[in-house]
Amino acid sequence: MKKLALTLMLFISALGLSQNKLPSITLKNLEGTTVSTTQNFIEKDKIYVYCFWATWCAPCIQELDAINDVYEDWKSQANVEVIAVSIDDARTNKRVKPLVNGKGWEYTILMDTNQDFKRALGISNPPFTAVVKNGEIVFTQNGHTPGSENQLLEQIKALK
Amino acid sequence: MKKIISLTFLFSALCAFAQKADTTKTKVKVYGSFERNGQWYTNDKNRGIHQDTVPLRANNYFNVNFNYKKFTIGTQVESYMNEALLNFNPKYKGTNFATYYANYKTKKLDITLGHYYVQFGSGLALRTWEDRSLGINNALRGAKVVYSPIDEISFTALYGKARSGFDVANGDIFGFNTDVNVSQLLNVEAFDFKYGFSGVSRYEKLPVAVQNFSAFTNLFSNRFELAYKNYYVNTEYVFKSRDAIIKQNVLDTNFAKEGSALLVNFGYSKKGIGFDANLRRVENMQLLAQRNLDNYPTLSSTSLNYNDKILNFVPSLTKQHHSNLANIYVYQAQFQVVMDESIQVNKFGEIGGEFDFFYDFKKGSALGGKYGTKINLNVSSWYNLKAKFRYTNNAGENIQNYQAELFNANEKYFSDYNIEITKKVSKNFKTAFTYINQYYNNKQIQGIFKEFDINSHIVFSESTYQLSDSKSITFGLEHMWADNDRKNWAAATVEYNHNEHWSIFAMDMYNYGFDHKTLTISETDLFDIHFYNFGTAYKNGSTRVALNYGRQRGGLVCAGGVCRFVPPSTGLGLQITTSF
Repeated sequence: MKKLALTLMLFISALGLSQNKLPSITLKNLEGTTVSTTQNFIEKDKIYVYCFWATWCAPCIQELDAINDVYEDWKSQANVEVIAVSIDDARTNKRVKPLVNGKGWEYTILMDTNQDFKRALGISNPPFTAVVKNGEIVFTQNGHTPGSENQLLEQIKALK
Repeated sequence: MKKIISLTFLFSALCAFAQKADTTKTKVKVYGSFERNGQWYTNDKNRGIHQDTVPLRANNYFNVNFNYKKFTIGTQVESYMNEALLNFNPKYKGTNFATYYANYKTKKLDITLGHYYVQFGSGLALRTWEDRSLGINNALRGAKVVYSPIDEISFTALYGKARSGFDVANGDIFGFNTDVNVSQLLNVEAFDFKYGFSGVSRYEKLPVAVQNFSAFTNLFSNRFELAYKNYYVNTEYVFKSRDAIIKQNVLDTNFAKEGSALLVNFGYSKKGIGFDANLRRVENMQLLAQRNLDNYPTLSSTSLNYNDKILNFVPSLTKQHHSNLANIYVYQAQFQVVMDESIQVNKFGEIGGEFDFFYDFKKGSALGGKYGTKINLNVSSWYNLKAKFRYTNNAGENIQNYQAELFNANEKYFSDYNIEITKKVSKNFKTAFTYINQYYNNKQIQGIFKEFDINSHIVFSESTYQLSDSKSITFGLEHMWADNDRKNWAAATVEYNHNEHWSIFAMDMYNYGFDHKTLTISETDLFDIHFYNFGTAYKNGSTRVALNYGRQRGGLVCAGGVCRFVPPSTGLGLQITTSF
């Protein structure tokens, strides 16, 4: 019973809070240049959509493919930038660059090779989306549902 | 238990304080996550499985961090109740503080006391990380300083002992790393050149009688990255100083050798096309945070079987497939030395490569159709190193030795040739087709004597049909022909997404067509049976709750280059993840 109580308490205390500031993490982009989540990507009122993905995660690729198809449309409707954060480790991270280019994705790519960013946001599994405006996490989405990119756009437009 | 309850209250109080603080604009940020993976192991008459003596098990992780300006403190509490899930490290027991740290971070300086995660280069010399599904957490406990005087240069110095269960391993770990963006430093724009160097040292006291290698084991990594227009070359060379090798789970202080790893990666990529090659030679690169293994005779396993006390990362460079059947014969990088006269398995490392080709047939082209077609060709092949070796020395003592050749391959361990074609057929219909051919050398990889090598063919198709804006249905169909092993496998998956919150899935894997007379199927690994699994998931914001019921395959599970039999199980699973 006590164990159950413990679990419940932990769970409730977890739900009772909500993170708002994006943690400060330093990581590399696809060109190997060091960037920071709190020093880059800080244009005022611009909406940054951080999509956590991996080369081995089929729903992630499905999501990013789907957004890529409508990305031009998104940009015409809102000041938005999609940042695809690859959590591939040394096993698969060399496949990121050719995959991104092969798929013709237009996103900014960040390499979270030892998963510091993923850990800081408490993400267990990709796909995971965090929408950030003025350094604040406005909302998050755990997992991907085919077609959910349309709802995402609606939510982004509502932020304007 | 009281300790934990008071701990929880403390957390709640802190959280409440922090929230309050936040509203009064003192900018204390609180963030963290909670994850629970629970399992209720049940009886399964058809498989002859009796409920485990501890049927209710769950791994719980509660992580919380407090940030005030440049300071952050945090901890992770882990609770394995009533015990850790089956096949997890037996050292994960009870409830306790698993990791804790205090961090001070500015633009130039980043100092951590307590537990930290770190990776030098590609991790061949040092990597500490957490992978909850594999039960890996080898965070170093000590101190780490990262100093970046200018954007182009960074230095890291660290000391620590690696986490093992709720304790730490014996070895003292020292590390130094530097990364320099040379072209940016010299304002060269024609090309991109970066250089990196790391030194890692593990100190563990040796008995006085041991004289043939040092108490310090040192690793040095040199690496560079060069990019010119759409071409790139990256390489890393790691040298490991002479250290004793583990022979049949026991450290053999008479058998000490040096180790090395050479990784070369190059490619070409521009919009719509990508080519990448990964070549690697690894010899004797096992590195543990403590020389001796923990032995668990009752479980017939050692700490190595649970990825416990590992200090570096030598991944298998093969494609990680998401087809269920392609994950039955999974390759593990062969970086360790094994010389076993009784089963005639002698391996010293591995050599081989992985090649990738991505191409996007544009929308409107003949092969692209209205919505475009994407293909990926992936090929990987890995071999044992060719070497001269002997089991006894000139004096006839049982002291082994070997000398591996530089670029000569011996017997093949594994190969994987596959092609994946993804096509959006219409606005509402997407489909992907994959063909995979795998070769798996049972005797060399698993070290278990079997006459045959496996040569399997897999076809896999997955289609998603969008019923409405939020409703969709996904079908997966797979078949595998594995003639030398368990013959045929068929698998099917169906997933229905009702809206952005709810989804359900059902799947089945069925093995058929093998001959009982010629093949002995292990008692723990029955195969004339359906491996079904079904469940539902609810997600909202950063929270996800999933429930499933089904059968887990037993059999050989290989991790970190070693394999062991795991019991089959059937049961009800509950996963909860959330972050805040």
